[in-house]
Amino acid sequence: MEYRGVSFAYRNRRAADPGESRLALENVSLRVAAGQRLGILGPNGGGKSTLLKLTLGLLDAHEGEIRIFGRAPREARRERLVGYVPQRVEAELSFPITARQVVEMSATVGLPAWRGIDASTREHCRSMIELVDAAAFADAPVGRLSGGQLQRIMIARALAARPRVLLLDEPTVGIDVSGQKRFADLLVRLHDALGLTILVVSHDIRTVASGCDMIACLSRTLHAHVAPEGLTPGVLADVFRHDVAAIFGELHVHAHPADACPLPHGRGSG
Amino acid sequence: MNTFSYLTDPSIRGLYWPGVLTGIAIALLCAPLSVLVVLKRLAFIGQGISHAAFGGVGLAAVLGLFGASGTLAAGAFGAGLSESAAGLLQFVIITAFCVGAAVLVGAMSGRGTRADTAIGIVLVASMALGAVLFHRARANTSWESILFGSILNVGFADVLRAAIIGGAGLLALWWGRRAVLFWAFDEPAALAFGVRTTAAKYLVLTLLAIATVAAMKLAGVVLATALLVLPGATALQLSARLARVMVLSVLVALVGVVGGLVVSFELNAQAGACIVLCLVAQFAAALLAGTLATRAAAPSPGASA
Repeated sequence: MEYRGVSFAYRNRRAADPGESRLALENVSLRVAAGQRLGILGPNGGGKSTLLKLTLGLLDAHEGEIRIFGRAPREARRERLVGYVPQRVEAELSFPITARQVVEMSATVGLPAWRGIDASTREHCRSMIELVDAAAFADAPVGRLSGGQLQRIMIARALAARPRVLLLDEPTVGIDVSGQKRFADLLVRLHDALGLTILVVSHDIRTVASGCDMIACLSRTLHAHVAPEGLTPGVLADVFRHDVAAIFGELHVHAHPADACPLPHGRGSG
Repeated sequence: MNTFSYLTDPSIRGLYWPGVLTGIAIALLCAPLSVLVVLKRLAFIGQGISHAAFGGVGLAAVLGLFGASGTLAAGAFGAGLSESAAGLLQFVIITAFCVGAAVLVGAMSGRGTRADTAIGIVLVASMALGAVLFHRARANTSWESILFGSILNVGFADVLRAAIIGGAGLLALWWGRRAVLFWAFDEPAALAFGVRTTAAKYLVLTLLAIATVAAMKLAGVVLATALLVLPGATALQLSARLARVMVLSVLVALVGVVGGLVVSFELNAQAGACIVLCLVAQFAAALLAGTLATRAAAPSPGASA
């Protein structure tokens, strides 16, 4: 996957000058090789969701371009290359369907109306449910699942479409530390079993540190892009400092003006 | 035993059979739609769409498409049209208003206005327009027959229309079932999964509109939406499996229409109102049964959020 100089601004309708707009992403360039796991870390409002929407082809970049296995995001969405696990489940959980039906729903998107779901698709859905350890509750009504179970079903739903990239939006919000550990293990398992390219977006450094082998820090601009030599303690400390700088802006810069690591400009000095 | 004589006496059965057949055709289309309406919380949209018919009724009145006998399809006077042509034109105009309202609500709610606000605006706008036009036309039609419907409004042309609408509507719903289901279940995620959510939304809104129009002569503007809410709401009390819910909702709709018509024949009461009361009675029974079943099963409160 490749992002080349991607910029995006939301039009501000309330501004006095209609041309005035808020830059959400500025000149973001990023390369993720096939099969890599990238964590994108950044504060709220730092452009993480915007980057996801651009990747999913729900928004179009104003400048620059995004390529997913050589395709533009909208095309990739049509070909269902990108599996997506949303941050909050906004589904109507009162729906009278089972967890398995939710997973199969995704596998049959785009199937002609006159064709039923075939045995191999059903089998694929079953194996994805097993992969995320959801077999025990696969036939329960979706409204009866706990938050953690629902998340695993949402991951199985994303995988059922046989994507090559998996996008996870804030996957550990509201999950305790032991749950985060289980989630990190799950991510490793998925990666090993399917060889997926995985993008995890989070504001929580533990989430991206535990399941990824690359981290990028995003606060409007991509100000730290850790090379894929692995997450050593030194790299993590670096990332943590970048994260703090992104949150507190110049405050941190003023506190440690002579720091050896040249700190990225925060939003205030941008 | 009015029912038997109404439906068999050769001199009057022609008045009642169209209503019965139309009711059955509408029930078959409305039942699966009502499940979606309840799950996707479209009940208020359905109300808005049906009330938008007033605008169409007003326009039809101004064009002289209402007859002196005061029923919706009594034929043209002043326009020189045959009765069936006037009826068709009336149907087309009212359908255009309802589908227009559905599309307008869909478009407005996609552009920052909340859906319920959009409905509130479209509903009153069309009703006000209808009231003004209707008054200007000085039509001999009674408000009551438009509001609450009448089985005597329904002719054989309406049966044909209801059958075509029912058949085509069910076919369209079946054709788009996967996209519609994904859209209804999880609209924010559906788009990211490559589901054509806009098409699914407008398909359902359009089907709601034409089903409402088809039900309107029998049940009236106010009661037409009952069939678009109650069968689904009742069925969802009784089962948590989608296939079973669909079958149950068809049964509830058919029992409601047939039972309601029998009651209306026996009591000489309005058909639409009796159908609605019959549907409500079924819902109340299902609610009671559901409550008793949960009490008996476990003391834990339902944990569905």
